Amino acid sequence: MMSVFYLALGTIFGFVLSRSGAADYDFIQGMFLFERFQLYGILATGVAITASGLWLVKKQARTLTGEPITIERKAFNRGTVAGSLLFGVGWSLTGMCPGPILVNIGEGKVYALAALAGALVGAALFGAAYETLQKPFGLPPLKKVSPGRAA
Amino acid sequence: MTPIHWSLAGAAIALVTLTLLVVGNRRLGVSSGLEDICSLVLDQPFYKRGAVTSGRPWRLPFLGGLLLGGFLSAVLGGGWSPTWALGMLDRAAGLGHGAKLAWMFAGGILTGFGTRLANGCTSGHGIFGNANFEWPSLVASCCFMVSGVLTTQIVYRVVFP
Repeated sequence: MMSVFYLALGTIFGFVLSRSGAADYDFIQGMFLFERFQLYGILATGVAITASGLWLVKKQARTLTGEPITIERKAFNRGTVAGSLLFGVGWSLTGMCPGPILVNIGEGKVYALAALAGALVGAALFGAAYETLQKPFGLPPLKKVSPGRAA
Repeated sequence: MTPIHWSLAGAAIALVTLTLLVVGNRRLGVSSGLEDICSLVLDQPFYKRGAVTSGRPWRLPFLGGLLLGGFLSAVLGGGWSPTWALGMLDRAAGLGHGAKLAWMFAGGILTGFGTRLANGCTSGHGIFGNANFEWPSLVASCCFMVSGVLTTQIVYRVVFP
């Protein structure tokens, strides 16, 4: 039942990304060329409204069903800088960040399948090399790595 | 088609983010979903940890929704049909199909590896982390914006001017 809810939320998110230019190659390049404001506006509004919402959510500190909300904060290490620098290059080349890769496939952009294949290979390479990368990038021990879990 | 106004799009994204938190108790993040997909076929210890297995029940349907949202957008916006069109890159470089696939695959590897090394992308760091005043997310956002700007400037002002 909950998976239908997550599917619906993802669908709304994907639809908005598709219709706002956030999943559009030219809009992404326009942002990085400082020729189009659209993406800066989306990010700024998204962050500002989410921040206000989080302030309210934290006062309540419970989900609608009464479960306590504790937001896990992301840690900083050398990987934060190095990884983000690499990701920026990938975002520019493909014109898609991870969400929009899927949105573009849904839209029928054939080449986006290659971007997804690349992203999965990249993630798999990271997983395979984790223990090697751990020390140089100061990554946490495996059991403590927790991508994107709120509570 | 005229795009949705940026303020409306930003508000909708914030609403999705907050609903995900208040109903599902989940922190928005798309790139960790790449690990979830990998974990379906790979069985290294990295993919067996709780952070991956506990996130799959929400992230996999959410990722499916992203596909569906793009599909619906195309269907309702004049019909769905497969396309190779790539806007500015077509006009600037005129790549063939094989070259486009190679270009996208290479960029995808950087995105997949980079976002996992950085533990987040435009959603987890850019939207949620920044909105939650997490300074590592601000550093991450500055880094991917700077390298994105540099790459696009090099591609469109130096390589294919």
